[in-house]
Amino acid sequence: MATSIVNTDKSFTAAEKPHKKKKKWQSYALLFILPSFLLYTLFVIVPTAGSVYLSFTSWDGISSDVRYIGFANFIEIFQSPRVHNALKNTMIMTVTLVLLENIAAIAMALMVDKVRWFRNLFRSIFYFPTLLSGIVMGFVWAMILNYNFGVFNQILTSVGLGDYIVDWLGNPKYAMLSIILSTVWKGAGYYMIIYLAGLQGIPQELNEAASIDGAGGWQQFRHITFPLLAGSMTVCMVLSMISALKIFDQIAVMTDGGPGFETETLTYIIYKVGFGELRQGFGTALAMVLFLIILIITVIQVKFLQKREVQL
Amino acid sequence: MQTKRRITEIVLFVITLLVAVVFFFPIFFNLMSAFKSNAEIMRDAIAFPKTLYLDSFKYLLTETEFPRAILNSLILTVVAIVAQVLIIPMAGYAIERRNARWTRLVFVYFLAGMMIPFQAYMIPLFKELRMLGLYGSLAGPIMIYVAGAVGFGCLLYTSFVKGIPREVEEAAEIDGCSRYGIFWRIVFPLLGPVTASMVVLNGLGIWNDFLMPMLVLPSGQAKTMVVEIYRYIGEFSSRWDMIFAGTAMSVVPVLIVFIFLQKYFVKGIASGATKG
Repeated sequence: MATSIVNTDKSFTAAEKPHKKKKKWQSYALLFILPSFLLYTLFVIVPTAGSVYLSFTSWDGISSDVRYIGFANFIEIFQSPRVHNALKNTMIMTVTLVLLENIAAIAMALMVDKVRWFRNLFRSIFYFPTLLSGIVMGFVWAMILNYNFGVFNQILTSVGLGDYIVDWLGNPKYAMLSIILSTVWKGAGYYMIIYLAGLQGIPQELNEAASIDGAGGWQQFRHITFPLLAGSMTVCMVLSMISALKIFDQIAVMTDGGPGFETETLTYIIYKVGFGELRQGFGTALAMVLFLIILIITVIQVKFLQKREVQL
Repeated sequence: MQTKRRITEIVLFVITLLVAVVFFFPIFFNLMSAFKSNAEIMRDAIAFPKTLYLDSFKYLLTETEFPRAILNSLILTVVAIVAQVLIIPMAGYAIERRNARWTRLVFVYFLAGMMIPFQAYMIPLFKELRMLGLYGSLAGPIMIYVAGAVGFGCLLYTSFVKGIPREVEEAAEIDGCSRYGIFWRIVFPLLGPVTASMVVLNGLGIWNDFLMPMLVLPSGQAKTMVVEIYRYIGEFSSRWDMIFAGTAMSVVPVLIVFIFLQKYFVKGIASGATKG
């Protein structure tokens, strides 16, 4: 009964009211969107456009002398061994981080999902490091890994592995590894939560049916759980890759890009060149390269990973 | 069968426990070391504090600019989050409900920003703040945080607004409620869970941010807690007690907020990841 009243009411005023309503809504919509639009344009888009422009200049960041130099910055990027080294480091870090973080996150999600006691406590403990700033945690790790007084070397000595003591952050061989492992420690919990949500979406009956058919734990994981986690995996892979490409805080505190240029990544070199060495034109050109890399990788990754997703 | 299952359960528990100990150790180590004197830390980093040494806290809070940095961090986080909650949900709502060509274009325009890393525009941004006369005030960083949250925020809000039946709004409209009224009195409260997730996740991001406040707040003055800690690492390079006390003070608020709002953090990640 009620619906019929509404219907007649609508058809009765259909001739003029919707038009007026739409127009009124239009001005409201504009008003609702305008603040976000202005701030976003002013503080994201305008400076990004500024970056595109600056990347073709030799600006130092201070003087008013902003000279247009064409593609010279980009040519230098192609030729500079330091940039190549930073790119190589970025790639090594990204690939290892994406692999290790996701493996650790899946393992942790399975543990928390299957463990019988203190499930929530474990989840919180695994997840908590992701809430802390990279600076703070980078510092704590730098102290743990310190050559002279660090806890890690102390533990190694006390369990009789004194021969394996090294300067974890000062030795070029291990600096990168130390940063990668501490970043896995810091980041894996975040992806664990996403995988956990994915795991809880898998119907229990599938595993039960498989175990009746005689499938063991590993086989169940290999043929049921793993394929059905593909959706979460797309998300986690993309997110972990983007954050690995942008890694900055830990490097700033733990090694400052050193020893030598051993842990200098693309984001770090942008900062160093732009603010430390006062070559902001070159720095922005590097930033444009980073932006392009992130864009291309994200698009490829989403396309590729979505292919292997299984729909329930 | 039963005992075999029991054994796997116990083995799994022990493994999980060991991993958890490894995971919790750095945080425990940090908090523990904050109560040790520098000599104690140097002598035996792994030992428990012998006495409750509070001098480093006292020193940081009375002799340095740390209190001002704590205040700055608080102001930045609270004001930026309030501004985000005032501005972004409205835009997301209008984009979803007023489905026209221009709103769809605006949406794509907003989403494009999610791809742009901060490093890609930080250098001109720094220059722009100076030009606008915002360099040196906290207003600059606040606007930058709001602007940076627009893309992801709109994505979240549009997808959640979709789930709210239009009939609720129509009923209010018939009763003579304006668009503003409909949004703030009816739609916004229904979006509570999304707002909560956005608040905790973005709030945390702002509290922990390092690069942006370091660049755009004037040097020489107290910046934010994280930046100040970074500065101390260089300045007090042999005073670990000082730095541990500083880091502990930045970890404890996060720990407390986390204990109380745990479910929002978890929900925020899960919903953010699937909607994103």
